[in-house]
Amino acid sequence: MCGSLSFPRGDPLPGGGRMTSYPGRWLVVDLSRGSWEWITVPREEIALFLGGRGLGALELWRRVPKGADPFGDENVLIFAPGTLTGTDAPCSGRTTVLAKGPATGYYLKVSVGGHLGISLKLAGVDGLVFLGRAPRPQYLFLAPGVARLEDAGDLWGRTVRECTRVLKDRHGAEAEVACIGPAGEKLVRFASIMTSVYNAAARGGIGAVMGAKNLKAVVVDPRGGRLGVADPPTFRKLVRKAREALYNDSLAYDLHRFGTARDVDLLNELKLLPAYNFQRSHLPGEMRELSGRSWPELGYLKRIVGCGGCIYCCHRFTRVDEGPYAGVYSGGPEYETVAALGSGCGVTEIEPVLAANELCNDLGLDTISTGIVIQWAMECYQRGLLSREDCDGLELAFGNGDAVVELVRKIGHREGIGDLLAEGIARAAEKVGRGSERWAMQVRGLEHSGVETRGAYSYALAFAVNPRGPDHLHTECLAEFGGTKEAVEVVEKITGDRRYAVPDTVEKRAEIVRWHEDIYAVSDALGLCAFSTTAAYGIDEELAAGLFRAATGITMGPEEIMRAGRRIVTLERCFNLREGLDPREEDRLPWRIMHERQNDLLSSDPVITPEKLRTMLREYYRLHGWDERSGVPLPETLDMLGLSFVKEELP
Amino acid sequence: MRWVMPGRLLVEEERCTGCTSCVLACSFAKEGFFSFSRSRIRILRDQEFADFRPRVCVQCAEAHCISACPVGALSRDGATGAIVLDERACIGCRKCVEACPYGGVAFDEEREKPLICDLCGGEPACVEVCRFPEAIRYQEVGG
Repeated sequence: MCGSLSFPRGDPLPGGGRMTSYPGRWLVVDLSRGSWEWITVPREEIALFLGGRGLGALELWRRVPKGADPFGDENVLIFAPGTLTGTDAPCSGRTTVLAKGPATGYYLKVSVGGHLGISLKLAGVDGLVFLGRAPRPQYLFLAPGVARLEDAGDLWGRTVRECTRVLKDRHGAEAEVACIGPAGEKLVRFASIMTSVYNAAARGGIGAVMGAKNLKAVVVDPRGGRLGVADPPTFRKLVRKAREALYNDSLAYDLHRFGTARDVDLLNELKLLPAYNFQRSHLPGEMRELSGRSWPELGYLKRIVGCGGCIYCCHRFTRVDEGPYAGVYSGGPEYETVAALGSGCGVTEIEPVLAANELCNDLGLDTISTGIVIQWAMECYQRGLLSREDCDGLELAFGNGDAVVELVRKIGHREGIGDLLAEGIARAAEKVGRGSERWAMQVRGLEHSGVETRGAYSYALAFAVNPRGPDHLHTECLAEFGGTKEAVEVVEKITGDRRYAVPDTVEKRAEIVRWHEDIYAVSDALGLCAFSTTAAYGIDEELAAGLFRAATGITMGPEEIMRAGRRIVTLERCFNLREGLDPREEDRLPWRIMHERQNDLLSSDPVITPEKLRTMLREYYRLHGWDERSGVPLPETLDMLGLSFVKEELP
Repeated sequence: MRWVMPGRLLVEEERCTGCTSCVLACSFAKEGFFSFSRSRIRILRDQEFADFRPRVCVQCAEAHCISACPVGALSRDGATGAIVLDERACIGCRKCVEACPYGGVAFDEEREKPLICDLCGGEPACVEVCRFPEAIRYQEVGG
């Protein structure tokens, strides 16, 4: 029943006899048939799409037919570690996971850290594609020279921790596990894939795609595997340079010590913290324990944790030792989790947030969407659209942390009201109706992440054009706040003037977004954490191109690599256009962001009106060489980017 | 060869983040490629409880590995203080692996030889990537 794949073991010089960190060896597994094939990505395609997210987007474009059901056999699930993943290039351990997304019905890419990417690369797999649907629950086991589909009947129904424990007992502690929890199995539209136990490929329902394929886990044992680079002396020199730049960034050490949630209290003081489902951007009263900075002294922080190959290590391991939540332990929480399940729900105590975070991680749920969906339900409760009875007896008032925790559990198991919420906020609001769409913080079916976009115009624009929906993980424009000297320098480099390092103007936002979009796509393609390029500013296009060149032996310059980033972004756009995206209707922000002023904000004009957004969009389309009105790439732009092949499939 | 002060690696387990940057850096520095199996430093990782334990030669004074070696393939380098292996003499019997109370001797299953840290001649690659966590530091000793 479970065959073994023939594997080119010990092939030391794949990629046409050259030593390279990216031989381009992809494994395609057809789950319906239980068959597989190896494909080799031509070097010309690696030069154009780099690796990771780029080649993943190309595979997705080629393999998913227009109109495919995200939960159907025609959808594919792709794991694509970066070009540099598996090397010691700093912060290069990331993997992009792709599919047609169940939340939106559009393009979905999700980036995940942990140790999955390194393990895949060392095991000799540059990309992994799952087609079809397994006839019964299965998992894939990979090691250098070995690949097997195994029965997962005994794992189905288990939580992420339980499943990982069983698989590590079976395959060894060094084996890396990526799996779904009960939420993915039950097709919750914001289910995650978890790896290294606590690292989430979180957004857009990627875990539900895996669940629909009856695929419980991917297990990778990297032992015995190896990876080289084309030009070791140059690579070594550039890695050292990148590392020094990252160590010296003024944000870096703080990120290491206190994590992504380090400044929740500061954001609150600046009145930039989403609260009460974006009704406010400030939590009144004492809330300091929501800040990562306080967790060491309060005793919650037990260990600082790093993804594979990271030199920052911003991840946390936390535990509650006493009180009603004693025994809660998990990875995180990250800033977004605190904003989604804490401040957004009006919760000012950290312990219920830790408990909700633990449940999300263990059931395999995206903490952002889970929190936003709960916030929407809380506002429905506040406004009398949902009664206590509708909520299975839960007192769903803002600030009730215990209710948040219980609701997370119900969502993960699709129990009671959890079944409605598990469909995501757009579908839930459609059912509840009566104006609740107006406080449903979503666009195209994806829940808006925890950034007060009315006070951050680059983010607002970036959210509106993000192919997967409104969040910060397609283009992180932290620089617009001018929070560090490096951030101001980046804005100056992009716009020519450091005056534009302010977040509440429409001017130059399109330029800022487009530059960040390009470098972000390059980061995802190379497997670099976006923190190394767009939050701390250690790796720029020059270094990225140099590292790519030294790792693969493929000629690459800084302008060329940014053009590759643009190519990736444009192809993603085209995927959505092929699916029927109407940018004039759908490049937008949640109703509340566009129509309700956020009066907590210190900004003079705290709302992104349709007019403002249109102004920014028009400029953004123009910079891209897209039609200024329709937002569709012009034929000559596609030709210039080497994307002529998409033209015949566009409407 | 450049003369350096004898030194040693100091490991503080509870500061280890499990990132394996040291493992990748070590294998690249010593072998020219990236590998978990060919690194002198390893990390025992329990991801669920974030319990990470680096294992590497700490150049202890007793050097049980040297006395355990039946063929005298291990000795101490007078200049760096590091334990060095005479690969031609080594018979791959793993006595040194078993003898080390710190679990500091890795074993290369492909070549059937122990992998022992030589401190990279006084600038250990693993220390360079652990600057923020400081789970591994290099201490020069003697004088």
